[in-house]
Amino acid sequence: MLSGSDTVYVLRYFDVIGRAEGCRLLLTAANASWTEEHPEWPAEKANQPFERLPVLVERSNGNEWILCESLTIERYLARVFGFMPTDLKQAALQEQMADQQADLLSAFFAQLTATGDMKPKQIDEFNTLFDRMVKEHGRILSRSSSKQHLFGDHLSYADISLYAFYKLFIVYLKCYQSDIAEIVKSKLTPKIINLILSIEKEPQLAPHFSKCDTMAAIFTAKDF
Amino acid sequence: MFSSKVVYILRYFDSTGLAESSRILLTAAGVEWTDEHPEWPQEKPNQPHGRMPVLVEKSTDGSPDFVICESSNIERYLARTYGFLPADLKQAALQEQVRDLISDVNGLFTGYVYCQNANDKAMLIAKFESLLDTLIETQTILLKNNGNTGRLFGNSLSYADIVSYGFYINMMINAAQFKPDIANLIKPKLTPELVKLISTAEFDPLTVKHKSKDGSLTAAISA
Repeated sequence: MLSGSDTVYVLRYFDVIGRAEGCRLLLTAANASWTEEHPEWPAEKANQPFERLPVLVERSNGNEWILCESLTIERYLARVFGFMPTDLKQAALQEQMADQQADLLSAFFAQLTATGDMKPKQIDEFNTLFDRMVKEHGRILSRSSSKQHLFGDHLSYADISLYAFYKLFIVYLKCYQSDIAEIVKSKLTPKIINLILSIEKEPQLAPHFSKCDTMAAIFTAKDF
Repeated sequence: MFSSKVVYILRYFDSTGLAESSRILLTAAGVEWTDEHPEWPQEKPNQPHGRMPVLVEKSTDGSPDFVICESSNIERYLARTYGFLPADLKQAALQEQVRDLISDVNGLFTGYVYCQNANDKAMLIAKFESLLDTLIETQTILLKNNGNTGRLFGNSLSYADIVSYGFYINMMINAAQFKPDIANLIKPKLTPELVKLISTAEFDPLTVKHKSKDGSLTAAISA
């Protein structure tokens, strides 16, 4: 672990899953000292470096260091706490999964807000991208030595990022589109569902589920 | 430094777009590389994520090709491999957050381009401009704090410098095909510090021989 034992983190975000769940899961899995802040919004907008959230505040030895952008925060925490491989090629293979997931989130909002003849095109694009991504997840999993992890035999950044992504789509985004959870669930294979539920059972993530539900109850026998 | 020779192929359309920063990084790294412009959309299924850019790293020692995708991922991999991103995690993260902000600005522009509703388009271009203002302010503060040397961080050409240049050449020249007046919208916003960043990045000894399809951004903004 590269951070000192007196280092504490503050994660500033809204009180929703949104774009911060990966950060929350990483801080939890790292067993870091951390708290969450929900700034008054938009009152606190001007006080954030990019006028956006999430923001990570790292306090150590009386010093304060600030980082923005959800994916940069994730990659930084993953590296600090050893969830990202040090081999650059292996790290790039994990990072591209997170970037692909971010593309999917953009595609979701694009099809949600599209009008006229762009709407069916954007819906089609979203479905095509999502199906291709699930296939890619399955391909990576089939090459993994463990069926409970994407790479290697222990919890990695890719596992945490994948879990946060599916939680976003299955638990959170229904506040934007009521049928999205069922659409996404129908695209998942039993192996991917098993991967999601295995990551959830990782002892390092247990404290996370004292504050929220697991997804285990969401997948019933007919999903497998 | 490397026991076997490495050559790169960068697959993308014949435009600057989201690939230019990677092209500049490859040039600055001094490695052997070529552009490939696959037949599109025929070659879509043959790419890892069905999209471009794609980076293929071929080794002469017979090991399999290493293939990665996602534009900012390709940039970070090249930057780390060839020393344009620092090894210090905090210093690297400060550069990466600038690139992620650039991704957000690009995303807002894409949303604007795809929108067909006039009212929504007006709202979206306003959002784009607002976040672009944040990006420009962020870059300008970094440049000022770094002694207004035309470099965002440190004393030599960095990943942040290159991806910033790549953003502006794409958005001011290539993006005109989607919004003809985009250069006139952005030019007045460029601070003197940013203008210096653009020319410093373009004429660095490591990048000066790079030829961009969009020509010289330095020349374009002084015109």
